[in-house]
Amino acid sequence: MAEFQPVLTARWGDPEAATLHGYERTGGYQALRKALSMDPAAVIEEVKSSGLRGRGGAGFPTGTKWSFIPQDTGKPVYVVVNFDESEPGTFNNRELIERDPHQLVEGAIICAYAVRCRTAFVYCRGEFVWPGTVLERAIAEAYEAGYLGKDILGSGFDLDVILHRGAGAYICGEETALLESLEGFRGQPRLRPPFPAVEGLYRSPTVINNVETLSCVPHIIDRGARWFASIGAGKSTGPGIFSVSGKVNRPGNYEAPMGTTARELIEGHAGGVRDGKRVKAWTPGGSSTPLLTAEHLDVQMGFDEVQAAGSLLGTKAMIVLDERDCVVDAVLRFTQFYAHESCGKCTPCREGTWWMTRVLRRVEQGRGRMEDIDLMQTVGQNMLFKSFCALADGAVSPIDSSIKYFRDEYEEHVRLGRCPLREESPRLEAASARSGGTTGALAQVLPEGIEVELGEVLG
Amino acid sequence: MSDPGPVTLTIDGKEVTVRAGTLIIRAAEELGIEIPRFCDHPLLDPVAACRQCYVKVEGQRKLMTSCSTPVADGMVVFTQFTDEEVKKAQTSVLEFLLINHPLDCPVCDRGGECPLQDQALAFGPGESRYVEAKRTYRKPLPLSPLVALDRERCVLCARCTRFCDQISGDRFIELFDRGAAEQVSIAPGEDFRSPFSGNTIQICPVGALTARTYRFAARPFDLVTADSICPHCACGCNLRVDLRRGEVVRHLARDNVEVNDAWLCDKGRFAFSFSDRPDRLTTPLLRERGLEPVSFAEALSAIAGWCRGKPVGVLAGGRLSDEDAYALSKLARTTFKTNDVDHRLGSSDVSAVEAETGMAAANPVTYRDVERARLILVVGLDAENELPILHLRIRKASRRGAKVFVIHPRRTRLWDVAEHRSCLPGEEAATATSLRAELAGAGAEAVVLAGPRLLQSPGAAQAMATLAAETGARFVLLCRRAGDRGALRAGLHPALLPGGRRVEEDDERAAVEVGWGTLLPHEPGRDAARILEAAAHREIEVLFLVGVDPLRDFPDATLARRALENAPFKVVVDASAEAMSSYADAMLPAAPYLEKDGHYTDWEGRAQRLRAVRPPKGLARSEWEIFQELSETAGADMGFRSLDDLHEEMANLYQSAALGVRGGPAERRGSGDQPTQPSGAGGTRHPEKPPAGSELILFSYPLLIDEGRLSDGADLLRDALEERPFVEIHPADAERLGVADGRPVRLQTAAGRAELPARVTDGIAEGAVFVPWNQPGFAANTLLSGSAITAASVEPSAAEASAG
Repeated sequence: MAEFQPVLTARWGDPEAATLHGYERTGGYQALRKALSMDPAAVIEEVKSSGLRGRGGAGFPTGTKWSFIPQDTGKPVYVVVNFDESEPGTFNNRELIERDPHQLVEGAIICAYAVRCRTAFVYCRGEFVWPGTVLERAIAEAYEAGYLGKDILGSGFDLDVILHRGAGAYICGEETALLESLEGFRGQPRLRPPFPAVEGLYRSPTVINNVETLSCVPHIIDRGARWFASIGAGKSTGPGIFSVSGKVNRPGNYEAPMGTTARELIEGHAGGVRDGKRVKAWTPGGSSTPLLTAEHLDVQMGFDEVQAAGSLLGTKAMIVLDERDCVVDAVLRFTQFYAHESCGKCTPCREGTWWMTRVLRRVEQGRGRMEDIDLMQTVGQNMLFKSFCALADGAVSPIDSSIKYFRDEYEEHVRLGRCPLREESPRLEAASARSGGTTGALAQVLPEGIEVELGEVLG
Repeated sequence: MSDPGPVTLTIDGKEVTVRAGTLIIRAAEELGIEIPRFCDHPLLDPVAACRQCYVKVEGQRKLMTSCSTPVADGMVVFTQFTDEEVKKAQTSVLEFLLINHPLDCPVCDRGGECPLQDQALAFGPGESRYVEAKRTYRKPLPLSPLVALDRERCVLCARCTRFCDQISGDRFIELFDRGAAEQVSIAPGEDFRSPFSGNTIQICPVGALTARTYRFAARPFDLVTADSICPHCACGCNLRVDLRRGEVVRHLARDNVEVNDAWLCDKGRFAFSFSDRPDRLTTPLLRERGLEPVSFAEALSAIAGWCRGKPVGVLAGGRLSDEDAYALSKLARTTFKTNDVDHRLGSSDVSAVEAETGMAAANPVTYRDVERARLILVVGLDAENELPILHLRIRKASRRGAKVFVIHPRRTRLWDVAEHRSCLPGEEAATATSLRAELAGAGAEAVVLAGPRLLQSPGAAQAMATLAAETGARFVLLCRRAGDRGALRAGLHPALLPGGRRVEEDDERAAVEVGWGTLLPHEPGRDAARILEAAAHREIEVLFLVGVDPLRDFPDATLARRALENAPFKVVVDASAEAMSSYADAMLPAAPYLEKDGHYTDWEGRAQRLRAVRPPKGLARSEWEIFQELSETAGADMGFRSLDDLHEEMANLYQSAALGVRGGPAERRGSGDQPTQPSGAGGTRHPEKPPAGSELILFSYPLLIDEGRLSDGADLLRDALEERPFVEIHPADAERLGVADGRPVRLQTAAGRAELPARVTDGIAEGAVFVPWNQPGFAANTLLSGSAITAASVEPSAAEASAG
């Protein structure tokens, strides 16, 4: 097989790539011209046969999603770009936008053309102040150049793109919560069915796609579905950007064919574990996917392959822990994140994530009981697949998988009454000092009982 | 919409056939299988938030929430009774709900009647595995003077917030924050000023929302509970009355999908103290030197003496039971031989008799008709203030897709669901003709709800009835108070006898004469205004005031005062002593709704059974018993030995009237059967002398919460919802007259003057000003001359003018 040439990140070295000029100079917006000359159905067909699967985590075939959009409802069709990238360990959308925003804009226009949408929205994570600004600029440039607005490139196709900034909620990456938020309501997931393809934004047919997914689209149109499908492994076609972070020498985003092994990404691209230590555990797709261990480094990073190994590809975000890291502490931090970000709508998630943070903190601080380990497992089972959306399932993943692979480490915490790795990990001292009184705005609302992690949410 | 047809499924091995679209949880109820739930409420949209109602559906990977999953043909469902996984899931949700719940049941108002308590007992884990500190909040959070929130008890089912969003539309409360800190709350500085706020308390499945009228007042097991009907307005809400040691401690709504669904307005819920007030009349009083307690026999024989051979006039309030109204109607006609009887105060429209006749004889529109209508025209009605549960039904219809039009001089709370057409008071009917095409388009699926405001403008009610008839719409002339419809049917009306029979039509009168075995006066009598005029001129010597206080209720305070000053004898029949003791010559203690059997007929014409919840206080008794005894004392026994006697007689007269092909008013009109006006109609009114410079039309009607006597004692209700008096004026008029929002203005009419703060709003028609009927320190009838519409001049108050 020929050596892989970067596709999505091909322009990343180019300081001008974020500008219209730089983008056009390197072939930008040629795919759009081509797409506009095609029948919309042919565009969908092309994307379908490329095998492109959604990069937001669920891996749903993108072309199929587009083909679900009914055209006879008398309502407008909407395209929504999910740029609410918030999964811990995941940062490829952000860099894609910062370095090559027009690639997304072009992909979004092609998508809109294919599903006959005339108004598209980009839902931008609230904290992404700078990336949002870069994208805003790119959208403005695209309008100026006639790639957006009325009668795009003389094709008769009109499209407006509106960038909407979120207010800082992980849950708004969940597509129906995103739609609620976009409509101006509380960011909480909606009851499904109806599914967004039928009744999404403003109860109209809606396509929601991830930034990386849409960034693939111009290349599929440009170079053809066959070319795209030739990259990757199994049913995971095309290139993918892998965010590698944690205890590696060169954390960052690395583009590689889907199905590349974790070992190649961690040891090759990211330069291996720092200080010559060994991998202890890693997440394949952000903190909401079950942890894997050094045993699993030869797993191919494709949707089905990772699932077969007992985890999920998720957002292709690999957080690497080494042998000095306390798994209990890491899981506690993950769980605190989910307790922060639980929207509160449904019982198992709201109460379960809260409960788990308390048990985990006790265990991590050496105040655990042996039965707490089983307790966490059963509470996790009571949350899994029983909450309104997948957030709680994600919250259970690190807990459940860490107990599966590192039960002895939990037991050691209980037996010793302290973290067995404490001496080697001075950070934990600071971590254990984290818990304390309430702060900020929260204190005015909830003077007692609520501890610091909720204070951080509200403060 | 085509009916998708029935669907058959199996739940726990039992087959059940239900309508397509039914939710599994409802289908299970049909089989008597109760699936535990918190967020589910049959009148709210599914939210599937609490996750308590899990069931297993064959072929589905995950458990399904039965509150949000519709049935499908051939579906096989297992509940907690047949599936261990379901049972375990439900138990675990209860465990989650309880980890942060304070378990303060022994001091919680809900203890003993709490869905959380009940379901935790039935389906929950016996012990908690939670050993951490529980989440706590400052408590209680006062949402309003009526509603308190204890957030630590809340299970975040969002029933309350969804009620406000979907049912009342008063979105004062909302979920705030997120995750474990999610909580129901209200914007800082705001009060939960919804007249439906109490419903959130009743549907709260835990003790999080409590009524400040009931907090720590009782335990469910020391309550005596009885069914009743709300005595306030004509909505006919089904009540549950809870008494503790004989005193009412709360009203709750009883479910009745034909009437009030599951709701009450806050007046119906919280204004219940009036029958336990210290000023309850418990014995007959007779004026000797002062008002002295006497026996019934003594009082009645004195009254019979006054009436012998003297002209008698009878005014009745709108809150008599059907039986009381009937007995009074018969008493007036047979004992006092007069048609000078009226329950309508200030509705001066003689031409409305025809429309009223229709309402007395038929039930043309029901709640269900409103709910299923395609088009609703609300005209001359401020539904939220006047018929609050009908207001909710209109909103419900709108959610179901009905197009709603409101024609009213003042914007109503239907503004967000209706197309509002403003008009000057009195121009409602004329404005409605602009909707002829829309009405005709909807045909029989259109409903015209004609409110009491129409009766202020001669011809308006009839014009609306005609428009409805011509376009095929259903028409109802609404009445406002609980007893109004029953009073109309009973003939507490100068021109109408029981069953809507007209006094002056010989054959119609004859039917009543046969029933009563006596000849009746065949001239229509005086209406309320003319009865008061006659009393003022001593043409009426004995004035019966049955549950009515003309000084408050009649739209001409001066005339009412003159009548009371000049009439030689005033006989008051009422439950409360205080208000009328200054002028009454005899007072007879009537039993309030709690203490009598009978019926109330709601605006639909639906008669609903009222039962005695407790024995009468002191010597109080039902009005019909008083009237019966009086008839005996006066030597004209009406012959009512029991309520059954009354019912038999009423049924005969009412049924034959309904069978008598009376039809609706339109039908009658079509037959060329024009009613003639009662003789002397419109006779001696106050001549309207509009003060110089009058340019505005002042109108008034009662707001839901006011100084009305049935709200006496409901101090928290008044704290929460009673508005201070005000005058509403359109910005254009305000600018022209130099009136500023919030500043005092002087109102001048032919009858009087008042100084009130201005409320400048484009919610009122230009050229009109509105004052509420009876707010603290202000009674609109001091400005009126017999009608609730009058000419007025408005100017900034003197102090303002000089300051300006």
